[in-house]
Amino acid sequence: MWQSLPEFGTGVLYAILVTAAYTFAVGLAAGRGQPRLLRSARLGAYATAGLTLFAIALLAYAFITHDFRIRYVAHYSDRSMPTSYLFTALWGGQDGSLLWWLFLLAGYTTVCVTWLKGRYRHLQPYVIATLMAIFGFFVVLMLFAANPFEATVAGARADGEGLNPLLQNYWMIIHPPSLYMGFVGCSVPFAFCIAALATGRLDNEWIVAVRKWMLFAFLFLSVGNALGMAWAYEELGWGGYWAWDPVENAACLPWFGAAAYVHSTMIQERRNMLKVWNVFLICLTFFLTIFGTFLTRAGIISSVHAFAQSDIGKYFVGFMGIVAATSLALVVWRLPQLRGKSEIESVASREAMFVINNWALLGGATFIFVATMFPKISELWDDKVTVGPPFFNRWMAPIGLTIFALMGLAPLFGWRKTSPDALKKAFIFPVVTLVLTYVLHLVFGASLGYPAFVEKDAFYPGIVGVVLQKIGAALPGITVALAAFNVAVVVQEFSRGIRARQRSAVKRGDEENALVAFFRLIDKNRRRYGGYIVHLGICGMFIGFTGGAWGLDRETAMTPGQSYKLGSYELRYDGSRMCPGNPKCSPAEQADVSKRMIFADLTLLKHGETVGHLSPAKFIYHRQPESPTTEVSMLRSLREDVYTVIGMVDPQTKRATFQLHLNPLVSWIWVGVMVLVGGALISLWPELSFREAGAWSYLRASAGVATSSMLAIWLCVSPTSAYAASPRPRAAVVAEHAPRPLPWGAFGAASAGIGLGALVTLSRRRRPR
Amino acid sequence: MTELKLPPNAVRAALPVVTIVGAVVAGVAFGVEISLLIVAAGALAGVIALLWASVQALTGESPLTLDEALTLGAPSAEEEQKRAVLRALKDLEFERGVGKISEDDYAELSTRYRAEAKRLMQLIDAGSEAERERVEKALQARLEKKAAAPVAAAVDGGDEAPGEAEPAPESSPASAKAAPREEEEAS
Repeated sequence: MWQSLPEFGTGVLYAILVTAAYTFAVGLAAGRGQPRLLRSARLGAYATAGLTLFAIALLAYAFITHDFRIRYVAHYSDRSMPTSYLFTALWGGQDGSLLWWLFLLAGYTTVCVTWLKGRYRHLQPYVIATLMAIFGFFVVLMLFAANPFEATVAGARADGEGLNPLLQNYWMIIHPPSLYMGFVGCSVPFAFCIAALATGRLDNEWIVAVRKWMLFAFLFLSVGNALGMAWAYEELGWGGYWAWDPVENAACLPWFGAAAYVHSTMIQERRNMLKVWNVFLICLTFFLTIFGTFLTRAGIISSVHAFAQSDIGKYFVGFMGIVAATSLALVVWRLPQLRGKSEIESVASREAMFVINNWALLGGATFIFVATMFPKISELWDDKVTVGPPFFNRWMAPIGLTIFALMGLAPLFGWRKTSPDALKKAFIFPVVTLVLTYVLHLVFGASLGYPAFVEKDAFYPGIVGVVLQKIGAALPGITVALAAFNVAVVVQEFSRGIRARQRSAVKRGDEENALVAFFRLIDKNRRRYGGYIVHLGICGMFIGFTGGAWGLDRETAMTPGQSYKLGSYELRYDGSRMCPGNPKCSPAEQADVSKRMIFADLTLLKHGETVGHLSPAKFIYHRQPESPTTEVSMLRSLREDVYTVIGMVDPQTKRATFQLHLNPLVSWIWVGVMVLVGGALISLWPELSFREAGAWSYLRASAGVATSSMLAIWLCVSPTSAYAASPRPRAAVVAEHAPRPLPWGAFGAASAGIGLGALVTLSRRRRPR
Repeated sequence: MTELKLPPNAVRAALPVVTIVGAVVAGVAFGVEISLLIVAAGALAGVIALLWASVQALTGESPLTLDEALTLGAPSAEEEQKRAVLRALKDLEFERGVGKISEDDYAELSTRYRAEAKRLMQLIDAGSEAERERVEKALQARLEKKAAAPVAAAVDGGDEAPGEAEPAPESSPASAKAAPREEEEAS
């Protein structure tokens, strides 16, 4: 019946649809309480996930064997691409990225169903049914609108078109999977939410089940967005990392929803309040993940990230309609049970702060949503209005700072109500730190190159423009002071916790030194103190964002030997070279025959001393000569990045145009993200009970395998990544016809990860029960 | 001739291990494409086995294992509420330890939470009494039935005939399961 891989692959997609539909039906039937049906549904869910693995392995095989009978393979790969980028091409285009989405959903489903064994007996059938419904949507989408196995109409080509050079970057290998992990991860909380609404078991049971899944999704949304920023910063070459592009905005919207939820869930757990709000937040976050995917793929808003325009938008609109209608109908049905019996007793309470913080987060998300969609909305009554980065920057800065301030305030309050004495005690140290930092910044900031006030041009005429201008000018000083306030709050919280532990130890006749108390404090309250560490990471990120206020952006043209002053640096242009061919090119550059590379060599001096060499470049790929890529070269430090981009080079005179940027404190964003990841991992790490140990060992095993896979991918691409990152490339580039060494490192890492995962999984059997 | 019978868990565990090891070895020896084919073949074999098992479970041809029967129980709403109250008490102690709550508020809230926990525990005890008696009776009847047919059991190797397995009553395993977690939370 199936004569070739395209037909066979399409057949597998049909099989996934049939299996998902079967599991969905059996899952719903199991909701009536028949254990055999539940068992059948669980096995069906595993089988659906297994079929998805089969499908992705088939597509990967098609890429590796250059099966250009498949249109998607022919469009996104060619014979010269290294193996690592052939894997990247799996999610490099629209059709494949949908299958990749399904593959990640299969992974989540497998872990979730395994974790559910012995838990949440009443919720399980509906969780499985909801996950299968999501499976069904994506398979239908692929079968009828974006089939990754669709055959090339004109038959197999001799070679493919190749992946966009901008996507041949190591950040792009890990950025989309991370972001998708975050997006797809929101499906599990949504499935639990629907299950709780369907069964009417709306106590805190499902909230406890959901919070770690949402935190996991939040972690990957944060990492995914940060990696996207890193990619834009290194690869796009415009000097910044966030341009408020519609697709960037769509990717950060679910982050706001998830961040609001991980805070408001604590109120329901503690005070049995805000049940409707929590249900709303989970449904909204899932909805926003689908909306983000829709925005990227439907082509309704122009974006540098968008996939090719296609007609899959109507499918997404239909699915979003079903999601919204189902959620709303279930909420209305269960409204009497969702109404809380408790109320906020005092404004001076942590729950009140969390609620205000939630509103601020949702306010920020709404602003971004409306501003992103505004060009489309404006078409309804007027000419198309474009909304650019300056607009977002003007308005989002005060919104962001409000959220930042509330982030510091909430931990200072206790639950229910806080007495004036307790408030005074809690506020003294952070407020003194805030005031002191602001005064020091005012006095010494300008002399250090970071003034507290930075004058801006008026964005609007009239009073609104003047007010925004004044606020904008004061923002750097306010941000630094608020960052100090937040850090002081976290330090104070740790200090009070340590002292409380030490007092408690003394009462027991024991003694704990500060270091031991510190670690035990985190160990015994991972969620709380992991959260505080996340707050520290966000402080780092805000400091990095503020650095933009003190940046310098210049354009200049130089002939060899000329110099240009950029802040405290001096850039000397030494000359240009074209590789391969120029004797000054490294062996790796000489060996790379896939493109022509034009480098402009710069020497970076500070106070007359050489501090580095930079070589911004233009790459002209032989396959796509019409779209040369810009290769950034920069010198990074915690204080500032010197970021250079080449515009054009006159081959006769060697005169070159440059874009030069001095970006202060950008590295603090990446440091902040790392701290945030560390804090989120501490919060996620389970406080093991003997029963829970089993399930989390599966997750740890999966994490082991996932880590090893990422490491394997990294090892596979390390020569290319080193080449892309190096300001003066010295690393080897794999030549088109050179024999490829076996990826021993990758296999070693994968084996180690699998072994570690297996060990952890097996170790649960030794745990006492 | 004696039939070789592998334990089902061994088969279940062997398939992914054999697939992954096979894929890694084939990848090293023959290239990534063969490795991918082995992963695909392993996935397909797993899918066939899982679907077969799913249909068997659906039609009632395979009995529930003891493990599965034990997982059928689910904590009642009262048990969940009790857990939430115990958690709130633990947090309250912590808030007091770090000085975020006055002694008066602490005393008031602590008394309220403790009273609520006591009420819930009484409710749970009262609710599980009838179930406990029912389980004991069912167990007694089963033991008597087994003692009455020792020969048949020996011939069958102790296996249950399909469809004979009785699902365990829901509340008992749940109570047993909830116990260690509660103890830990209370501590």
